[in-house]
Amino acid sequence: MLLRTALASVLLLLGGWAAASWLTYGFQAWTDEGARRLEVALHPVTAPPITVQGPGLTGSLPALLGEDGGVTIVDFIYTHCETVCLTLGSSFQQLQAALQADLAAGHDTKLRLLSISFDGARDDPTALQAYAQGLRADPALWRFVRVPDVGEQQALLRALGVVVIPDGRGDYEHNAALLLFDSRGRMVRIFDLAEQQLAFNYARHLARGPR
Amino acid sequence: MKRPACKPWHQAVLGLVLAALLALPITRHGLEASMWSHMLLQFPLWMLAGALLAAALPPRLRRAIASCNAHGITGLVWVGVVLSVLMVPRVLDLALRDAAVEAAKCSALLLAGALLRLSWRPAGLVLQGFFLGMLLPMMVVVGQLYIDSPLRLCNAYLLDDQVHLGRWLIGLAAVFALAWLAHVGWRLVRREETQLAPP
Repeated sequence: MLLRTALASVLLLLGGWAAASWLTYGFQAWTDEGARRLEVALHPVTAPPITVQGPGLTGSLPALLGEDGGVTIVDFIYTHCETVCLTLGSSFQQLQAALQADLAAGHDTKLRLLSISFDGARDDPTALQAYAQGLRADPALWRFVRVPDVGEQQALLRALGVVVIPDGRGDYEHNAALLLFDSRGRMVRIFDLAEQQLAFNYARHLARGPR
Repeated sequence: MKRPACKPWHQAVLGLVLAALLALPITRHGLEASMWSHMLLQFPLWMLAGALLAAALPPRLRRAIASCNAHGITGLVWVGVVLSVLMVPRVLDLALRDAAVEAAKCSALLLAGALLRLSWRPAGLVLQGFFLGMLLPMMVVVGQLYIDSPLRLCNAYLLDDQVHLGRWLIGLAAVFALAWLAHVGWRLVRREETQLAPP
């Protein structure tokens, strides 16, 4: 009886270890966000063919991402945001400054910035325009769009693993990050907001790519 | 010894009703709407349903389980493993969007409740102390992590909610520890009384 107990207990412990290992990708990712970033790095996610709309532009998202044959850093925002989006705004401002410095130095890195609003109902092109101006965005480098169709917006968020939850005070909490898309419209990496420099270097490297 | 409050089959019916209620989409969404009620209401309720159902286990099955559950060790290992795995923050997110994970989570908890009931008494004070000595510090550590993390560990839940859960985990661990120590004290006093009582 003791032997059987010992055997069963060891089996259970092994099973638990296996389950935990499966759950955390070999103890690398304890959160769903960490797991999502690993998954994307291993298997890039193709942007769904949805329609986006912004100040002076309407078109499909993959076309927009592939426009200059370059790399795009994408973030998700809503213009009424007072917290995390302000951080995102300022990190995108710094990325834009770095891009402008590159351009001034005479080489176009083929790297663009795109902010997508997940508050499609309120963030019409006019609101986005005003928001962009407030952040001193250069329309050639940094564009703002929304997804006018509610169903398509949900599909996009789901495909990219962006989770948005209302906080009950009229704001949203969301897993803000820097999403890196290649010229084929595939999300290839997700970087934390704190890894802005890493994201920029990686994107620049990817944009130069094999010529 | 204390007699069970109601007949085994009453308990089993109660357990079945509770499990059915918990499995209803409306209850699930309600309990899983916030992080603390997901972990601290839904988890224990599933375990309670399992414990109630265990009352009506046929004697043969009970004997079969007991034959590889000396001193309740296997049962307590199962409970410990299940609760440890389910404290990984990713489980909460995954359970919300993956039906298979949700089903596995609920059945593991149901079984854990049943096994806890079958194993607790056979384990005796020493093994109970060992079990709680592993589980409760883990609850405190996880709770502290939830409180301290500046980032949301679950995409589906708010940051406030996470802090709330962390505080509850630590508070509950303290309550469990105190309750068990009180129980141990009471048992010791009782034992002394019977030893000192005149024959």
